[in-house]
Amino acid sequence: MNPRKLLRIARWEVTKNAGGVDRRTIVVGALALLTVGIAAPYAATSGVAVDSGIYRVGISEESPYYPVVESDPTFAIREPNADIGEEIDLRIQGLAIQTAPTPKAAAAQTELRSSVRAYNNRQMRQESNQSAAFPVVVSLGYVERTQVREVISTSDRQEPTPDDAGTGDGGDGSDGSDDSGGGDGTGGDTGTADGSGNDGTASGGGGENIGDVAGGAGGVGGIAGQLAGGNTSGTPADISPPFPFQSLVLAFLFVLPLNFIIQAYGSTMLSERLNRRGELLLVAPVSRFDIIGGKTLPYLTAAVGIAAVIAAALEFPAVAPVSVAISVLAVVPIALLFLAATFLGAMFARSFKELTFVTVTVTVSLTTYAFVPAIFTDVGAVALISPLTIVVRNLQGQAIGIGEFAFSLLPPLLTAGVLFGLGAGIYREEDMFTQRSIPLKALDALAARVHGKWSVAAVTAILLPFVFVTELVGVATLFAIPNALSIPTILVVVVVVEELAKSLHVYAGYAHDRFEVGLLPALVVGAFSGLGFFVGEKLTLLAQLVGLPTSVVEGQAALATGTGVPSVPLLIGLLLAPLLLHVVTAAISAVGASRNKRAYAVALVVAMAIHFAYNYTVVTISGLV
Amino acid sequence: MIEVRDLRKEYGGFTAVEGSTFSVDTGEVYGIIGPNGAGKTTTLKMLAGLLEPTAGDVSVAGHDAGTTEMRRKLGFLPEESPLYEEMTPLSYLHFFADLYDVADGVADRRIHDTLDELDLEHRDRQLGDMSKGMKRKVAIARSLINDPDVLVYDEPASGLDPLTTNYVIDFTSDLADQGKTIVFSAHNLYHVESICDRIAIMNEGRVVAQGGLEDLRAEHGETEYHVFTTVEVPGSVKENGRYRSVVDSMDGVERIRADAQDADGSVVDIRTEESSLEEVFLDLAESGAKT
Repeated sequence: MNPRKLLRIARWEVTKNAGGVDRRTIVVGALALLTVGIAAPYAATSGVAVDSGIYRVGISEESPYYPVVESDPTFAIREPNADIGEEIDLRIQGLAIQTAPTPKAAAAQTELRSSVRAYNNRQMRQESNQSAAFPVVVSLGYVERTQVREVISTSDRQEPTPDDAGTGDGGDGSDGSDDSGGGDGTGGDTGTADGSGNDGTASGGGGENIGDVAGGAGGVGGIAGQLAGGNTSGTPADISPPFPFQSLVLAFLFVLPLNFIIQAYGSTMLSERLNRRGELLLVAPVSRFDIIGGKTLPYLTAAVGIAAVIAAALEFPAVAPVSVAISVLAVVPIALLFLAATFLGAMFARSFKELTFVTVTVTVSLTTYAFVPAIFTDVGAVALISPLTIVVRNLQGQAIGIGEFAFSLLPPLLTAGVLFGLGAGIYREEDMFTQRSIPLKALDALAARVHGKWSVAAVTAILLPFVFVTELVGVATLFAIPNALSIPTILVVVVVVEELAKSLHVYAGYAHDRFEVGLLPALVVGAFSGLGFFVGEKLTLLAQLVGLPTSVVEGQAALATGTGVPSVPLLIGLLLAPLLLHVVTAAISAVGASRNKRAYAVALVVAMAIHFAYNYTVVTISGLV
Repeated sequence: MIEVRDLRKEYGGFTAVEGSTFSVDTGEVYGIIGPNGAGKTTTLKMLAGLLEPTAGDVSVAGHDAGTTEMRRKLGFLPEESPLYEEMTPLSYLHFFADLYDVADGVADRRIHDTLDELDLEHRDRQLGDMSKGMKRKVAIARSLINDPDVLVYDEPASGLDPLTTNYVIDFTSDLADQGKTIVFSAHNLYHVESICDRIAIMNEGRVVAQGGLEDLRAEHGETEYHVFTTVEVPGSVKENGRYRSVVDSMDGVERIRADAQDADGSVVDIRTEESSLEEVFLDLAESGAKT
């Protein structure tokens, strides 16, 4: 790969459309950007303030309310002896507030109340003795749902008293939350600060309702309670655990731009193939990796740049470069995964119609993978399968371990590498510019990396990240259903994915005459594929060291070949047994692949059956089912 | 300059090129002709390194086909002109000059010289707004951006009007005069006949004949003798007060001469006509001859 050529192609990718934009459009665009550039920081720091000075208040500087009114740009200060109703909406003399008999004056009074509350909070925060300012501190901790059930079932299920719900000292509000999984406790906090107790009352009410839900709707929360006719309001505060809106919004912010970027990226990649436009680049003295890298770099840069801007904007005005860098670093694998999947799809698509299908598929599947786990950042460790969880945790100020970082980022990063590698395998004349069928292209992509038994082992090992991510997505998708159903289903998914990963490129190699035909060569090729898988699989077990799968039963079923090992002989057995399993099943598939398509299909099914039987035995011994 | 040995290309179960062997000397113009589907374009793409041969060897300018070194010395013009239509000729050519590591000053001079030679104006206009002939000229200019030793042109005048076609063929001929080694395919056999030093005729993936035009005529063509006599002889046709007989050998000429003398006449003129390249091509294509 030649970095200079790669960057030249990247520059060309950015500027090649410049000829299509006339000067007038450029001027208008520049002016628009300039306007936004000037207006945005001002709006961000000062607000739009369309309501500036809307309420007129007659007040003297001696009044204790004067600093409040002065600090709120909504109010316009007038002389206190002005004509109320005509010249002013409110008159404040000392502590007495006189309101004009108009709807606008009533609104002004409400605004004044809010301003006083905000002013008091600011004053409190400036106190040097924070314990005096905030004598009650509420710490929230979420527990797993099963433990919630235990807590509820073992408690006397005493209904909250009206005092609990209504006294509003904040601490009660949060208690309601903890005991029943309801209420977010915010009211308690606010109630303390305000001294009014109103919000605390509301939150306590939420806690009261959740008691019904926990008993009647299996702890699914307020929405289920509402569906079951429970006495809940249906607001997010009713959901148990509290619905992570902040995580949702943060994850959404970061994943949304990627969906737009891949549209442009997929389009430019496919346009290279239509009308043979990219043919001359293939003749030029540049490698296909230069071309792919050069064409991808601008879109990756855009994705990273947007992520950086969003991260910085979320932290504005106290932007911490390290924090922004962590968020950006975590977005890179996701962006690469989006781009890699789109690239591979664009290499397979034969028209823009098919490309639309590809991009929609990529959008839905990868957004689900990245977005959904990140929403539940605070709920379960499985959320770490998405790098966006790292972003959300980072922006929420939570610490992130190196192991968690690696666990979350490496699989999508390596998967992106595999997808780019497969796409690069068919970035050639024969596959780019012909209406070759998708299965044949898939075989071409795989066969491009297969040249001998060692390369078979390497490709199998390289496919492991893809296998790993697929299995984890399966775990994340199925972990919510009962174990009795989810574990066999997971096992089927695992068996299908793993056996395909071990054999498909072997079949592709045979289809391209890369191997010697015969029983013994097929057994050797299959054995090497099994060996490659074994090595790769052991590497994935490192993922368990960061603690995710051990906390999820389905994770153990998918990734482990045995847990809770009681003795050394069994440990050795469990180490060697997977090697034997993978070698045997891969050899069976390879023998079938060496014959023809039908023989391969039959052999693959046999290999899957053996693999399933093995896995089921392991998880049964482990006591998972 | 170009060595091709036992070249074979298969697509799935279909063999597009089978056992092609030929060589092209430095400065030579080598034409490849054949009916549609004969394997001409596939052969040229393997020469350009675009397609990987299923079997056989291709060497261009001392380098294996497809290597970076070989690409630096090659200019390839595909049958169609797949340009980036949102670009201008200048930006397009400068981009490829960068990819070929042509220094900016050299590239600038070469681009303008070539476009001047090709008589291409409107160099700041988008390629998408240009005529097919103008696009073809830009494509030719791109193939010359690296001042290659070897040019591989696939149907360089395909789809162009007669005026532009002649311009392109003359330009190609000028390149040959400058010492470039050129391999090109064409459907118009007149163009091949007019500028090629040697010719390969392909049919059904095989090179069925190759050599100089005279050699091909001698080996695969026919020479006809048109004998004009003052009297009628067997098989003759009256034409402008004389009698014309057509034979394919000197023995036939002697026989007519004897017949004319027997009838108290004489032979007044003998003309020879040789097969055109088109006739040789059609004959080989129809007979499916194998080398």
